[in-house]
Amino acid sequence: MRTIENIVEFKNVSKHFKDFSLENINLQIKQGLVTGFVGANGAGKSTTMKLMMNLLQADEGEIKVFGKHYANNEKEIKERIGFVYDSNVFYENLNLKDIRKIIAPAYKNWSDKQFYDYIKMFELPLNKAVKTFSKGMQMKTSLALALSHDAEFIMMDEPTAGLDPVFRRELLDILKELMTDATRTLFFSTHITSDLERIADNITFIQGGKILFNESIRDVQERYALVKGNANVLNQTIENSFISVERSSNEFQALTNNAEEVREALGDQVVMEEVTLEDIMYYAKGARKQNV
Amino acid sequence: MFNLIRKDLVIQKSQILLFIPFIMFFAIFGDHMSPFFIFLITSLYIPLNGYIYDEQVESNILLNSLPYRRKEIVAAKYIGSVVYMFLSIVIASIILYLFNFDFTLQDIAIATGLFFLFTAIAFPFFYILKPGYVGVAALIGMVVFAVVLPPALRFLAEHLTAITEFITSLSTATLYLSGAVISISLFLISWLVSQTIYQRKVL
Repeated sequence: MRTIENIVEFKNVSKHFKDFSLENINLQIKQGLVTGFVGANGAGKSTTMKLMMNLLQADEGEIKVFGKHYANNEKEIKERIGFVYDSNVFYENLNLKDIRKIIAPAYKNWSDKQFYDYIKMFELPLNKAVKTFSKGMQMKTSLALALSHDAEFIMMDEPTAGLDPVFRRELLDILKELMTDATRTLFFSTHITSDLERIADNITFIQGGKILFNESIRDVQERYALVKGNANVLNQTIENSFISVERSSNEFQALTNNAEEVREALGDQVVMEEVTLEDIMYYAKGARKQNV
Repeated sequence: MFNLIRKDLVIQKSQILLFIPFIMFFAIFGDHMSPFFIFLITSLYIPLNGYIYDEQVESNILLNSLPYRRKEIVAAKYIGSVVYMFLSIVIASIILYLFNFDFTLQDIAIATGLFFLFTAIAFPFFYILKPGYVGVAALIGMVVFAVVLPPALRFLAEHLTAITEFITSLSTATLYLSGAVISISLFLISWLVSQTIYQRKVL
């Protein structure tokens, strides 16, 4: 079998709603890696994931999953995806036994053994209605169901949201464990950026319906920097390499995605600091221009 | 497909336990009711409940994330409703028979025809309506159906004598046959309509 490098590929995808649009999205999710999907609330994360699952159809552009289009391969593609959504999508009056009855026969590769192993590991009750579950238990439920059919691509929308710190770490450990299988690919959205720094290889950053960057976490840390200094060193050329600038009396603070150039131009006149993803999120939100 | 049809039973498990007492209630207290109406209500019980339970959660997201096509999801509802209608009528017949409730095959035929008519009208709405309204809509639909239909037929019988004369001139066989053809055709058209609506639905 030919190895596919890009598990998911978006080419110039746009989707328009009345009050929001995704514009010209280009996105690749690489096989065998953990890709974190970050962006503020309302930036377009859920819409992108719905497009990925074919719950929404793009207005323009092309979407391929496992190198295939949904049009003729919908079932085959979905057989190979495990999904976790941020809200409970399972019939809440049912217990896990009954939910298994609905989900299991949908997949050719379903393994009861795997399912019951996860149930045991997550200490989930089989005979209690899902609506009585805590947020953490619901997340474990989704995860157990997503992992029991040998999915190659696992897509999770905000899996860590609303979880307590202890379980959040546990979850990240479980995910790490999963990734020891090199054929597996994980894509998850979050706005808790410390999660990403813990397990992600790649970061996809979305802002106002546009992808700001889609690259390895190391590249992001090399390219981006926080620049601080006296406002009188600023000029048009320098400002062009900033994503956003914040001025206060005669000081400035800026985010650049071109740390090297700024360092060459300004050298000792400014202080350069490493950025966290949170810094990028914060400054990018206030960006006057998006020249990435 | 079979799994999607079975799903409608699994999700209303607690309601299914009430199904037989529900029919028995009619068998005991419904002696003033037309048997066809009892058959109609029992045949709609499982399909309507299926829709009501389905919209209580984001089942559209779930079902569409599983390896199913939207066409299949709609097809399962239509085929499933016929299967459940058939089973319900069999069960209702047995119960009514055991309770010495008189009914004829004619009652079953009329109920089946009305079942197709009702579902043909109601199902497409279930795909249009916002979540949370299917139960209410089904209930209102049933009441309107039960309240409006008899006077409407009476009105037709009294005022459009040409039509009634034409109908009475038909033999019983032709009458039933054409009734069956019309209601089943409407059901099939409704299926196509629902499928088109659901294909375009934003989830």
